[in-house]
Amino acid sequence: MNHSRLAIGDQTQQTGAVPRLTFPAASLPASTEQLRADIRAFLAAEIASGSFVPRCDTWLSQHDPSFSKKLGAAGFLGLAWPVEYGGHGRTPLDRFVVVEELLAHGAPIAAHWVSDRQSGPSILKHGSEEAKRELVPVMAAGECFFSIGMSEPDAGSDLAAIRSTATRTDGGWLLNGTKVWTSQAHNNHFFIVLVRTTPIGDGAKHRGMSQFIMNLKAPGVQVRPIRLLSGHHHFNEVVMEDVFVPDHYLLGTEGNGWDQVIGELAFERSGPERYLSTFPLLVALVDAVGPNPSAEVAATIGQLTARLTALRRLCISVAVALSLGSEPVTEAAMVKDLGTQLEGEIGEVARQLVPPGHNPVFDALVEDAILSAPGFTLRGGTNEILRGIVARHLGVR
Amino acid sequence: MSNSTARVADEMLVETIDRLFADHSTPERIHAAEGSMDRSVFDAVTEMGLTTIGVPESLGGSGGTLHDAMAVVCATGYHAVAAPVADVLASALIGAIHNVAPGEGITLAVSGNRGAPNCRVPWLPVADRIVCADGSAEASTVTIQSSGVNYAGEPYAVIEQRVGLAYAGEVLALTRAAQMAGALQRVSELCVQYAMEREQFGKPIGKQQILQHYLAQMAGDAATAMASVDNAVDVWSHDGASARFIRAVAAAKTVSGRMVAATNRNAHQLHGAIGFTDEHRLQFWTRRLWAWRDDFGTETEWGAVLGRELVADGGSDLWDFVTSIPPTLA
Repeated sequence: MNHSRLAIGDQTQQTGAVPRLTFPAASLPASTEQLRADIRAFLAAEIASGSFVPRCDTWLSQHDPSFSKKLGAAGFLGLAWPVEYGGHGRTPLDRFVVVEELLAHGAPIAAHWVSDRQSGPSILKHGSEEAKRELVPVMAAGECFFSIGMSEPDAGSDLAAIRSTATRTDGGWLLNGTKVWTSQAHNNHFFIVLVRTTPIGDGAKHRGMSQFIMNLKAPGVQVRPIRLLSGHHHFNEVVMEDVFVPDHYLLGTEGNGWDQVIGELAFERSGPERYLSTFPLLVALVDAVGPNPSAEVAATIGQLTARLTALRRLCISVAVALSLGSEPVTEAAMVKDLGTQLEGEIGEVARQLVPPGHNPVFDALVEDAILSAPGFTLRGGTNEILRGIVARHLGVR
Repeated sequence: MSNSTARVADEMLVETIDRLFADHSTPERIHAAEGSMDRSVFDAVTEMGLTTIGVPESLGGSGGTLHDAMAVVCATGYHAVAAPVADVLASALIGAIHNVAPGEGITLAVSGNRGAPNCRVPWLPVADRIVCADGSAEASTVTIQSSGVNYAGEPYAVIEQRVGLAYAGEVLALTRAAQMAGALQRVSELCVQYAMEREQFGKPIGKQQILQHYLAQMAGDAATAMASVDNAVDVWSHDGASARFIRAVAAAKTVSGRMVAATNRNAHQLHGAIGFTDEHRLQFWTRRLWAWRDDFGTETEWGAVLGRELVADGGSDLWDFVTSIPPTLA
């Protein structure tokens, strides 16, 4: 046989020539074990007292200010924030443990979710001293809740196409425009909104944007419901008409909004909420099939759980990298893509292994999982956008 | 074993084996070894002590950690090494669990199939000895029922069922999982490379969005497979051979095996007809992946091993299991 063409199409192949993704060895520190025991005890007591019934997708849909306040009072919010701003001075990995426990137990955490995950850290990093002192302690107490003001009717995946504006006025800014898909804007106090402070024609598309903290109850704000296909209401349209925002609510540097938003994406995309949204259903599935299922059913449950443990490792790896100051934007995008595929699959598998009518609690969890699934692979950047980010890292884009 | 807290392989070792295999495991030699083995790569590896790495020096091994050992195993997959390096190393590690010194030459631990009348032993036709629960035997004295080569041209023989040493099946399954993780990574890299080189419609095919998405998925699946293997090695290193190790191995073999179908399909789609030929090197990895996912238990078998334990424990313990892997680090 003539082997001279063995390397066809591959003449330049050298190992290591293709950029790799970096997932450093990942373990949670043993110092998180006590905290895990504490939050488990808290949750067990809450479940026992009937405070909540585990549901799927609770971080977006189950808005319960009183539960958030209890969490705040027990010291489980603002864990990694400085003590002087009402936080607990612990590590991002401590927060990781608390968050994954809350998600896995299907606790109602939508009220404080955005403020604890990104608004608080954003204000601490970019906010004025006045804003920090006013807002961060009440966020850590579970008494002040934030939404995200990014997408617009004509700016979804192409976020830089936003048209909302802020113009200077005496002592602050006037905001105009429309934001959409703003989860829980009707229940929350503020959102961090991305707007143009320089018109789009006056330079590069990604310049001239700024972030503001905006009070959702301020004059000139209209919050209109956008019902989901499930009939649930957590999306809104937020219309801003000459809404006054004081100077000290400008977040970071005027014109630097795009970079600030991009910097937050790794935090937003890689968290355990990207693969645990349907975990309460998997728990219910294990019980529903009983202790002696067929080999095929056992294998299916084993396979789903096996993938969960692998994804959790990737997720921890990104969290560790973030806690060390890296910005694993590509790895975070990849974890979100993989994790959201899995959480959708759990619903698809569960409905086939235990058909409707088994018991109403199980059926309700399946309904949660199926009807909320379209959101899994859209929110926080569609999976198609995420794969594009990975492809760019690999060098093909 | 539980004393080794370093949860990564030695960096210099990883570089050394990468270079060694890159030099030895050339397309010509991989091709030439089909149906048998590449003796010279095996000898080179043995000479460096790499087939007993992770086995304590007090037992006659080369020392080092289990993470070092599994890095060697993973590299045999990444480089499509056409010799039983991984199986011999696995057998040495299995021996170490039982305080038995590594055997001479090509010594293979038999996994012992669950309940089957016979068992297929990869590489047996080129082996010197086999090791079972009741001791070791010269390979030449073992009655062979049938023999052949797997999809990748690696020889095997079928023998009457034996009882393997405890944990032999798990360590061998983890070994294949680690090889698959390495091979999945290599396939994804070959695809990136080809997508940038091959032009159609006046531009590299990698500019096609659908192929970019294939590449991202392949890279993600390879990373997931590697993560499942790393989890199992962490547990092994932390607990020793244990009940949790069995579960972590079950997870690793089922996750790695599951990734093969999509990665191979998309890799071949992306490479077009040339990648489907004997002349192109892609098939060194895709054929091995198809073969290895069947070795020492499929993803269904291992999925059921894990799944049965999970349902026996009940839903309330599921999260406990998920959070027990990887073990926390002091």
